[in-house]
Amino acid sequence: MTLIAESGYEFWNPIIWLITFAVVMVIVYFFRKQGVEKYKKGEDQAQIFLCGEEVPEAEQRRVRGGNVYWGFFETLKEYYDGIVRLHTGIVNDYVVWFVAVMAISAIILLIVKLVG
Amino acid sequence: MSLKAFKRALWVYHLNTGSCNGCDIEILAVLTPRYDVERFGIMLVGSPRHADVLLVTGPVVKQMVPRVKRIYEQTPDPKLVVVVGSCGIEGGVFYESYSLAGPVDQIIPVDVYVPGCPPRPEAIIEAVVKAWVKLEKAEQGVR
Repeated sequence: MTLIAESGYEFWNPIIWLITFAVVMVIVYFFRKQGVEKYKKGEDQAQIFLCGEEVPEAEQRRVRGGNVYWGFFETLKEYYDGIVRLHTGIVNDYVVWFVAVMAISAIILLIVKLVG
Repeated sequence: MSLKAFKRALWVYHLNTGSCNGCDIEILAVLTPRYDVERFGIMLVGSPRHADVLLVTGPVVKQMVPRVKRIYEQTPDPKLVVVVGSCGIEGGVFYESYSLAGPVDQIIPVDVYVPGCPPRPEAIIEAVVKAWVKLEKAEQGVR
């Protein structure tokens, strides 16, 4: 039984993979051992450094997905302010908009029909 | 004195607690090619978590007190504090100012004082070397 899987372009051998994994783990362990072991766990020494500022909770220091679009929303702020104002969340408002748009569309179609 | 216990390069974090920048400019001069302390392995680092020595300038204004304490706590042990300049030692030209909480040794423990307004780069280098010797003794005590 051979352990080598070949596709013609590359090969896969689990033994080589395991040896490589073990070598990498030894290297990682070596570098990890160089670190300071005697530090004050759970105190400021274990906290991230923010120029001396108090470290906020994890939820507050995360960058949310919405932050990525900050420039986009800031540039189109006037447009979004208007659009968001229209979206009241009240069904009656949406029905009024629906009826109004339908009525205007019908009038436009009627005019087009009469003119044509 | 040869180093036996503390064999690694000495990394220094510079903390400004309200200095006029005179001492900070002298610290920068220490890094320039004329003095070039990096040839001795003394390097300025950007985080106290990587540092062995805190180089503190300024008289410690009130707003800086919690930050100075936090930065001191964040520095790994063994650590030493070097105060550079008269302001950090006794207030200097800002002596008894309404905005001061310092000098530095009233906020955190200080190991080496470098007087001067500002001190010469040679004096700063000598202070760092003294701190290095003190760290060596501290490391020997640990082992």
